Amino acid sequence: MTWVNFFGNALDPKVGGIAFFGIFLSLAVFLIGQYLFKISNGFFLFQPLFVGMVLGIFILWLMAKWFGVSLPTFYMSAYKPGGDILFWFLNPATIAFAIPLYRRNDVVKKFWLEIVLSLIVGMIISLFVIYYVSKIFGLNNQMIASMLPQAATTAIAMPISGATGGIPAVTAMACILNAVLIYALADVLIKVFRLNSDPVGAGLGLGTAGHTVGSAKAVQLGSVQGAMASIAVVVISIVVDIVVPPFAHMMGLF
Amino acid sequence: MASNQATKTEGTEHEAAPILQQMCIFATVLFVSSLISPLFPKSFPVPTPVIGLVLMYVLLASHIIKLYQVEKMADFLISLIAFLFVPSGVQMANSLNVFTDDGAMTGVMLIVTIILATIILLVVIAYTTAGFMAISRKVFHKSTDVE
Repeated sequence: MTWVNFFGNALDPKVGGIAFFGIFLSLAVFLIGQYLFKISNGFFLFQPLFVGMVLGIFILWLMAKWFGVSLPTFYMSAYKPGGDILFWFLNPATIAFAIPLYRRNDVVKKFWLEIVLSLIVGMIISLFVIYYVSKIFGLNNQMIASMLPQAATTAIAMPISGATGGIPAVTAMACILNAVLIYALADVLIKVFRLNSDPVGAGLGLGTAGHTVGSAKAVQLGSVQGAMASIAVVVISIVVDIVVPPFAHMMGLF
Repeated sequence: MASNQATKTEGTEHEAAPILQQMCIFATVLFVSSLISPLFPKSFPVPTPVIGLVLMYVLLASHIIKLYQVEKMADFLISLIAFLFVPSGVQMANSLNVFTDDGAMTGVMLIVTIILATIILLVVIAYTTAGFMAISRKVFHKSTDVE
């Protein structure tokens, strides 16, 4: 049992502050993902973020088994301290999107009205579609309310979800999955739905559906897409703030 | 087009600012945003990074901050986004019970709904935009060419 002693610090909540393992594991699984993505010639299920998430959870699960503790306990004591440090950097990374946005200020100035209208009207249409799709799949009202605010960033979506009768934790999961899915599927979806012809629309869609990760994807596609995704992240969050509570009320969810 | 040219050359005219200065600008914007964020009411939350993005954009647009002072840091951070999201993904280990609490069937339906919702949001927003662009082009005879 020398391994347990060796790793014991990570399992002791009192010294749970050590962050080295979480940071190491995050980097290791992401780089494995990048490697798999490269050797598989860009197979979409081997997107580094997706591999990192699945492999990371799997390794934590294995280690939790090995040490005989539950997965959430092991996650909290061994991974979270390091994960939180990396997570913090999403703050400056989010405000960094002001730069691709400003670089294409010409597009923003030219189309600001179309952008705002598209996001408001598109959001309302999406809410109806998501509401009825959730109904078809037999989700109860609580779950449906959790599905509605997922276009906003987590920090906005969670309180809105709670206020409209949803479960904030489910909404947070949805926001995370949105980002992971968009990062993995963006290329396929853009091809299937022929979104390339309109860079403004593609950018707004990626920023809305994939949050900041979708925006990072959009930046790779082009400067217009990147700028539009950046503006979508901000505007759609405000739109969700305003539109989702009355919509949920109208549909009788709370 | 002229303003676009101007913003593009602005970045290359100067050498990039030292990285610590760039970090300081980011830290300042985040700090000021964190002071503004609690001023919004609870029913209308606006988180710090969203305010920060707007604030940074306003500072750039009003030429208080120049592109060369933040560009390098911003490009670096954006290139890291997918990696920085790994802890959020792994965080699901902590709440996998969300998907199993109401039975495995509900969990599967929930995941399917989230996948569909992601695609719905992307496609509906993109097509709505294409629609408004077409209206601008055909009804208001506005050029919708970009690039």
